[in-house]
Amino acid sequence: MAGAFPQFARKAPRGASVILHLVGRRAASALLTLLLVSIVVFTISGLLPGDAAQETLGQSATPAQVAALRHEMGLDRPGPVRYVQWLGGILRADPGQSLVANMPVRDIIAERLPNSLMLAGFTAVIAVPLALAMGIAAAVHRGGKVDRVLSLATLSMVAVPEFLVATLGVLVFSVKLLWLPSIALVSSEASLGDTIRSCALPVMTLTFVVVAQMARMTRAAMIAQLDAGYVEMAELKGVPFGRIVLWHVMPNAIGPIVNAAALSLSYLLGGAIIVETIFNFPGLASLMVNAVTSRDMPLLQSCAMIFCAAYLLLVLIADVVAILSNPRQRA
Amino acid sequence: MTLFLSFARSLPLPGRIGLFLVCFWLLAALAGPLLAPYAVGAFVDYDVFSPMSGKFWLGSDYLGRDVLSRLLWGARYTVFLGLGAALLASVTGTSLALVAAVHKGWVDEVVSRTMDTLISIPSKVFALVMVAAFGSSLWLLLLIAAVTYVPGNFRIARAIALDLAAMDYVTFARAQGETPIRIALGEILPNMLHPLLADLGLRFVFIVLLLSGLSFLGLGVQPPHADLGSLVRENISGITEGAPAIIAPALAIATLTVGANLLIHALKKGKTA
Amino acid sequence: MSGGGFSRRTALAGGLAGAGLLAFGRAQDVLAVPRRGGSIRVATQSSSTADTLDPAKASVSTDYVRIGMVYEGLTTPDANLRPVPALAESLESRDRQTWIVKLRRGVTFHDGGDFTADDVVFSLLRHKDPATASKLAGIAAEFASVRASGRHEVTIRLAAPNADLPAILSQPQFAIVRKGDIHPRGNGTGPFRVRHFQPGVRTVGERFADYWMPGRPYLDRIELIAIPDEVSRVNALLAGDCQMINAVNPRSIRRIEASGSHRVMATPSGLYTDLIMRADAAPTGNPHFVEAIKHLIDRPLVKRALFRGHATIGNDQPIPPFHPYYNPNIPQTTLDLDRARWHIAKAGLKGVRVPLYCSPAAEGSVDMASIIQEFGAQAGLELAVNRVPADGYWSTHWMRHPMTFGNVNPRPTADLLFSQFYKSNGDWNETGWKNERFDRLLADARSQPDEALRKEIYGEMQRIVHDKAGTAIPVFISLIDGYDKRIKGLHPIPLGAFMGYRFSQHVWLDA
Repeated sequence: MAGAFPQFARKAPRGASVILHLVGRRAASALLTLLLVSIVVFTISGLLPGDAAQETLGQSATPAQVAALRHEMGLDRPGPVRYVQWLGGILRADPGQSLVANMPVRDIIAERLPNSLMLAGFTAVIAVPLALAMGIAAAVHRGGKVDRVLSLATLSMVAVPEFLVATLGVLVFSVKLLWLPSIALVSSEASLGDTIRSCALPVMTLTFVVVAQMARMTRAAMIAQLDAGYVEMAELKGVPFGRIVLWHVMPNAIGPIVNAAALSLSYLLGGAIIVETIFNFPGLASLMVNAVTSRDMPLLQSCAMIFCAAYLLLVLIADVVAILSNPRQRA
Repeated sequence: MTLFLSFARSLPLPGRIGLFLVCFWLLAALAGPLLAPYAVGAFVDYDVFSPMSGKFWLGSDYLGRDVLSRLLWGARYTVFLGLGAALLASVTGTSLALVAAVHKGWVDEVVSRTMDTLISIPSKVFALVMVAAFGSSLWLLLLIAAVTYVPGNFRIARAIALDLAAMDYVTFARAQGETPIRIALGEILPNMLHPLLADLGLRFVFIVLLLSGLSFLGLGVQPPHADLGSLVRENISGITEGAPAIIAPALAIATLTVGANLLIHALKKGKTA
Repeated sequence: MSGGGFSRRTALAGGLAGAGLLAFGRAQDVLAVPRRGGSIRVATQSSSTADTLDPAKASVSTDYVRIGMVYEGLTTPDANLRPVPALAESLESRDRQTWIVKLRRGVTFHDGGDFTADDVVFSLLRHKDPATASKLAGIAAEFASVRASGRHEVTIRLAAPNADLPAILSQPQFAIVRKGDIHPRGNGTGPFRVRHFQPGVRTVGERFADYWMPGRPYLDRIELIAIPDEVSRVNALLAGDCQMINAVNPRSIRRIEASGSHRVMATPSGLYTDLIMRADAAPTGNPHFVEAIKHLIDRPLVKRALFRGHATIGNDQPIPPFHPYYNPNIPQTTLDLDRARWHIAKAGLKGVRVPLYCSPAAEGSVDMASIIQEFGAQAGLELAVNRVPADGYWSTHWMRHPMTFGNVNPRPTADLLFSQFYKSNGDWNETGWKNERFDRLLADARSQPDEALRKEIYGEMQRIVHDKAGTAIPVFISLIDGYDKRIKGLHPIPLGAFMGYRFSQHVWLDA
């Protein structure tokens, strides 16, 4: 794949070339993965009972009505033809028309994507530093009281079903204390303050869900490095412990940590379905479920593409960060 | 038995607590239905969400059924579904990882991209589609949970396997003309078992929580039965009155997952020390 | 015209007075003086990208509320299920086949256009065009012709006499849109005009200043959202994030009332979830099997455990006890295990395993299935309950297996219920049964001018359905709304939540 960037490879320093090489290779395999995802989504959604015409007309549909609507939606053409047509559209950057909402898929996504990104962004901003702090603190004090308390905390965090956390949060902070809204009312008119208040409980719930795993991975990665010989050496040389952790241990441990963080964060887009349902948050995950239930193929495909691309991008960022931060890989 | 006791004694305190909790739930899953005082679907209480009493040890649920009986049955579903799916996911993920690590090249590429494909489809949406397409059954739930966690196991197993494959002794074995299968099973796999066991435990915990998430979306075990997550979900309206019908299954999930975690943790420490 | 025809005519000519009285339905509100202004947020239970501003496509409660805010029909149902005039001033007919509709004058659309006969003709006839994908295409097929017989007069000619036309026209799908709006986007004559509309997210309506009813509506703004999860919906009400919600689970009533600042409104309705036993399949086609199942349902338990008493016990026929045509002389079927055992033995089905499909899509069906399964086991019948997801239930499971559950919304007339769900060639003849006498009676009732005779005919039809049809209707489900107690002017209309979805022009917000 390096052949795609020969001039860069020659001129750029070694680290940059490694990254360029990686990005180029990943871009190619990402396209392959996206293609696979679209085929898988198309195939398994073909297994679903009913189609968009039937779901639109619902319980009260008569066969004649269904046939007429099916024709109007273009569902009377064979599946592969529809897939190729959709693929052609995507290649021209046109995700097509929603079968059910009677508007371009692009417009529907444009309404929801910023919400999902905002929710994921807020959660990441809180959860990642929190998890790092917890993981590092536990690792540094491994075996001690702090470690045990933190370990118990992360354990209990993963031990409660997400929907229960959300419901309890609402009961305490919205119904009892009246501090925070119980539903996320994000709209273009809402002020920044209102939006943040609206997102508080969803962000709290999601943080609960993702922080534990990240904190545990951080702890494990840190401990693996703390036990390495060079730390002992540095300690013997009299380097302050804080400096060792920040300058020597962190760079080496960051690879597995960012990888775990990337996996957790990719959950925030597609996995937020329960939080989106409970808080009535207009995000992409509920849109995708909606697309499944209404058999809205173009919309479903677009959601799947976005989730897949986001996942691949996060993993790529994680790898790049790992390479950049690790002197050995850079060299 | 003495072997078990000495094993238990070798664990640190949290590990012993974990072992106790795991054994408790395993026993509950095995013997629970025999101990259940009422039939799982029987409407035995005129009232709903009644508190703990001599007649109903854990109160009654939202329809006036005995919570204890339902909990004992629910433990069976959750424990066995979770274990089964975790095993299936680990075996599949690890086998694929070995194949990818030994063959490298395009085999690795194809398997890795397939795993990326699987992981990037949100698991709950995947479950929704599968249940809508094939109807809900225990086998399907098992399969969904397993498929969801194969990629995670694959990633970890592949990383370890690639590391091992680059080791001198593997290179040596390769030079000796050992077949890839022999290298994978004889040289690489034995050295992966330990971290994979820890991963298996984690998968189990995730699967228990995934199942409870699925029950939120109405995709759980068939009535009148329910897994632990479904029990929490179906009784959620009792949360404001603090009904045991919701607290008991929530505690059950918590003790089961925490117990499994503590045990794995202790095992990990015990071996590396 | 005699008897019922006369009363129908007076009711329909009652005009504004009748509609005006509606606002003061609740005794305690009679003394209260409605107040102008204020803004509320209303949450229903379902919303999706299929949300629509086209009345013809309306299919879920959120659509009905939205349509009720923005549009109006020619008639509207009152608290006793009688149609009263809305955009029509009167509907008259000598033979119940040709109807003269006199329209209200001085009504304007949101875009400023005058409301005339042409709009009515367009709005009614578009249901016959398959491209409209109307939910009521089947009913609209009975409009032989609709034409303007004056600027404010429309003549509707039906294919066959039907005394129920005024009630039929009160359905939300027949709301009036502007002439030429093939894809209506909110230009109606209703009390609120569309400010924002995001399918699957929200609808914001603001007060239409030129609304024809003087002083109405009282509210300045209504925001309509949907919160699918019931617990979240109740929490949102209690937290003050919305002021009205529907589809409250009876188990949540205590919580809502305990808050002190909220109330519930229970609307006994004709809504029911029925167990369907196909006449054309085995073993459900066996009358003994059907009888056995009907005697395996503990109706008081269903009412108590599932609905906490907020239901009316049913008797396996679709007309609820509070309906004017209800026949009280049919003996009530009750739980009777001995009798069920006898029928099971007669049918030779002891120990046979029969699959039963239920789904959250049909309200309460999963729990009802559990109950029937439990008592079935006691009587020696093994019912295998298959809970299937709401997703795709109506298109793939409903009526497609020997035993499934249906869910039937209240219909404005007995005729609609019987002709859609029980007529041999009805669109959703759920059990696939065929009863010639029943079909003949249905046609008779439609053209019968005498109210007493009509009631008698409908009474006999109820008995036939009760005795012979393979539908078990355990209870009629009450609709429960929760609301902030500052909201005044609400009263139940048995056709749906929120005053039959038409609260927007009637309610006000007390300071």
